Amino acid sequence: MTGVATRRFRRFWPYLAAAGPGLIAANAGNDAGGVATYASAGAEFGYRPLFFMVVITVGYVCVQEMVARLAAHTGKGLAALIREQFTLRLTAFAVLAFAVANVGLVVTEFAGIGAAFELFGVSRYLSVPLAAVAIWMLVMLGSYRYAERVFLVLSLVFITYPIAMFFGHPDWAQVASNLVIPHFLHSKAFILVGVGLIGTTITPYIQLYTAGAVVDRGIGPDEYQYERIDAVSGAILSDLVSIFIIIATAAVLGGTGALTSAAQAAKALEPLAGRFAEALFGIGLLGASALAAAVVPLSTSYAMAEAVGVERSVSKSFRQAPLFLGLFTAQIVVGAGLVLLPGNLFSLIINAQVLEGVVTPITLVFILILANRRSLLGSAANGRLARTVGLATVILVGSFATFLVVSTVLGWIGVSL
Amino acid sequence: MPRFSLHRPYLPTRRRDDTPEAGSGPGAPGGTGGTGAPGGPGAPGGSTGSGRAIVRRRLANREQRLLATRAVRDTIVSLAGLVGRPVRNQGGAEIGRLDDVVCRWSDGQTYPPVTGLVVRIGRREAFVDASAIDRIEHSQVLLRSSRLDLRDFEPREGEVTLAHQVLDHQLVDVDGVQVIRAADLYLAPVLGGIRLVGVDVSAQSLLRRLGPARWRLRPTPERVIDWGSIQPFDETGPGHEPEMRFRTTNARLERLRPGELADLLEDLMRPERQKLLDSLTPDEAADALEEMDPEELASLLREAEPGQAAVLLAAMEPDEAVDALRDLGADDRSDVLGAMDRVKATELVRLLGYPEDQAGGFMTTAFVTASVFETVGGLTQRLRLEEDVPDELDAIALVDGEGQLVWDLPLLRLLVSAPDTRLDELVEAEEPVTVGSGAEVAEVADRLIEARRLSVLVVEDGRPVGRILADDVLDALTPARGRLHFPRLLQ
Repeated sequence: MTGVATRRFRRFWPYLAAAGPGLIAANAGNDAGGVATYASAGAEFGYRPLFFMVVITVGYVCVQEMVARLAAHTGKGLAALIREQFTLRLTAFAVLAFAVANVGLVVTEFAGIGAAFELFGVSRYLSVPLAAVAIWMLVMLGSYRYAERVFLVLSLVFITYPIAMFFGHPDWAQVASNLVIPHFLHSKAFILVGVGLIGTTITPYIQLYTAGAVVDRGIGPDEYQYERIDAVSGAILSDLVSIFIIIATAAVLGGTGALTSAAQAAKALEPLAGRFAEALFGIGLLGASALAAAVVPLSTSYAMAEAVGVERSVSKSFRQAPLFLGLFTAQIVVGAGLVLLPGNLFSLIINAQVLEGVVTPITLVFILILANRRSLLGSAANGRLARTVGLATVILVGSFATFLVVSTVLGWIGVSL
Repeated sequence: MPRFSLHRPYLPTRRRDDTPEAGSGPGAPGGTGGTGAPGGPGAPGGSTGSGRAIVRRRLANREQRLLATRAVRDTIVSLAGLVGRPVRNQGGAEIGRLDDVVCRWSDGQTYPPVTGLVVRIGRREAFVDASAIDRIEHSQVLLRSSRLDLRDFEPREGEVTLAHQVLDHQLVDVDGVQVIRAADLYLAPVLGGIRLVGVDVSAQSLLRRLGPARWRLRPTPERVIDWGSIQPFDETGPGHEPEMRFRTTNARLERLRPGELADLLEDLMRPERQKLLDSLTPDEAADALEEMDPEELASLLREAEPGQAAVLLAAMEPDEAVDALRDLGADDRSDVLGAMDRVKATELVRLLGYPEDQAGGFMTTAFVTASVFETVGGLTQRLRLEEDVPDELDAIALVDGEGQLVWDLPLLRLLVSAPDTRLDELVEAEEPVTVGSGAEVAEVADRLIEARRLSVLVVEDGRPVGRILADDVLDALTPARGRLHFPRLLQ
């Protein structure tokens, strides 16, 4: 591993990876969208979503393993693979899906920044535009990596969730039974939360990220056995943190209904931090959001440039890389702009996760088809187990998303399911 | 940065720079019968005549260009548009749909000939040999006979399927020194056969392919790169003999400077990068690797076989090789060193022992020492026989009988002295300028300035152990270059 000093900005995947796989994994579940969605799920349904999280974890592990295997065996990022393996129209569709999901994520991050500042009494109409300009400038002027380390440290605040969980004295019997006994609630609200949980856990962005990181670390088929352990344990660790957040919130707020503000979500940390809970939550939210607000648009632009075939432009000047920088700028403008529309910030975050959950099945189908392809992976293509679990995941995720979309559309014309 | 380098006889030269702005109607005189593509119009001549004349000439030129472009459009066939189209026999009956076009590019021809078609007949994929093709049109393929000998498609040695293995994949544009992704491929009947003549990299072509099927029929030769400047990648599996490829394709790569090769290596994805590396000799590859970004280089070495990585590192300058080894993890480093020639590995391990930021850490051990008892003629003779004299060498370390450094002899002095001069006659009274192996960068820089030389010797106990070149000092003094990478975006 080279020191941080010699790393180039051009490849930002390994840059984050250098912070330690465990941290990254924990952070993946701990971005603004994740914390908000898990907390809201715990507050609305108590311990009930726990079994669903276990199911999602199985799917998430399976997806992460497939993505890492694809990257290790082909040496290519996901976007490039899709361009080479599917027709151009399907590629455009996949890229669009990734773009929609990632723009949703950018919106989430800016909403997270806004919500964090609102906890400290700063209006979002001040904080969000300033943050957008600051992040754009930091990235363009090349000093983002210093700021990023600060954000990373700030976001570590969320590591306090497991501790807060114990301080909150949850009903362990309930936790245990809800973790292992299968149950789903048949209600539109639960489906909505379910899609949100899917969207924030099996995020399309993480799939791009994982593939890019594996390729950039130069991991080949020979080292894949170690990488598999990494991918699987990372996915499990990340979901463990998510489950802790649900339990911690359920213990304090369980059954009080969906959350509508960051101040409510912060209550879950009260058993640990007392009156500092809001400040603690705000700091963590700010760090996690600001961290991702630059990295997500950057990696989206990178993946899109890869799909279009202008990889080279990533290291070139503005005039030479209009696509890359245009996309980066556009995402920040759109992301921050949407946050400025009037409306509840916390609900916006959760709705963005629902949007991701609707897009996730699309990207999963591409990944599953690629990982099944013997012409691409040879003997490393999906075996029967991976095929089955992968297909089951796609069906589960797809049916949740379809049900939500269909019932929403039917709702517009007055039919309720 | 658009490229219009269609500088081959059958395609017109076209540059955006001298294309007049839109809005100019075709009212220019001389509708010149733009029948054939040949003779791309040159740029308008000198500034003879009035402005109006220039405008008229430019309009005429534009007209000619448009006609030529139209002629080209009629001649060349877009592969993306052709795939999925009917294949008809002599009687005009459809026998199947075109699935792919097979090309052979292993025999070193500039424009790879089409050797056959893959035709989907029902659920079968049949191969139709090129000899059976009568004509390839924009929207159909016409075959010569009504009776066909169809066999199942089996890719042969040196053949690629264009739609599946080349279109949308990475290629290297050697003239433009860039990695591209083929948005479309163009076929044309030239040189007695149908050949692959160009690759399209325009966003317009991507949009054309996204739109309705009939858009795809019309080629849009806006940003076409002549196939003559493309370095393709063989798509056959890893079992293929790499030597075969490198004999035939290396000529194009030889036009590239090491720094340009390094850029290409950085931009390619792993399989293509591996193929490009395979087609270079270890020395060519090593020169390019020395120019690569340290992080990219580490990634490249990690993903290569230890044996290959060892050969590459051994061919690099020792100081660069040591830097690269430092960037590898401990495991990878010992794998690579274990696979390396024993003598070379020992030398690199010794160099690795020096701290990175001290003179020993960035000196090169590829330098020449001579005894003061040799003659000028003897030394030049010896250097002549030496296999691998470093090009950037600017002086020779002269040592006495005990191996102690006495003088750092500039090469030019050697060149202008009579062959029978003994080297000790060339030693000057002053002390040679040297640094210790523990010297910091700043001290090395000071000594370089003092010596007014391009390099300075590193000594331990009075013996020369290495040489530091001015460019190594520059590298060491600008460690922030990589970190401050993004600002380049705004320049």
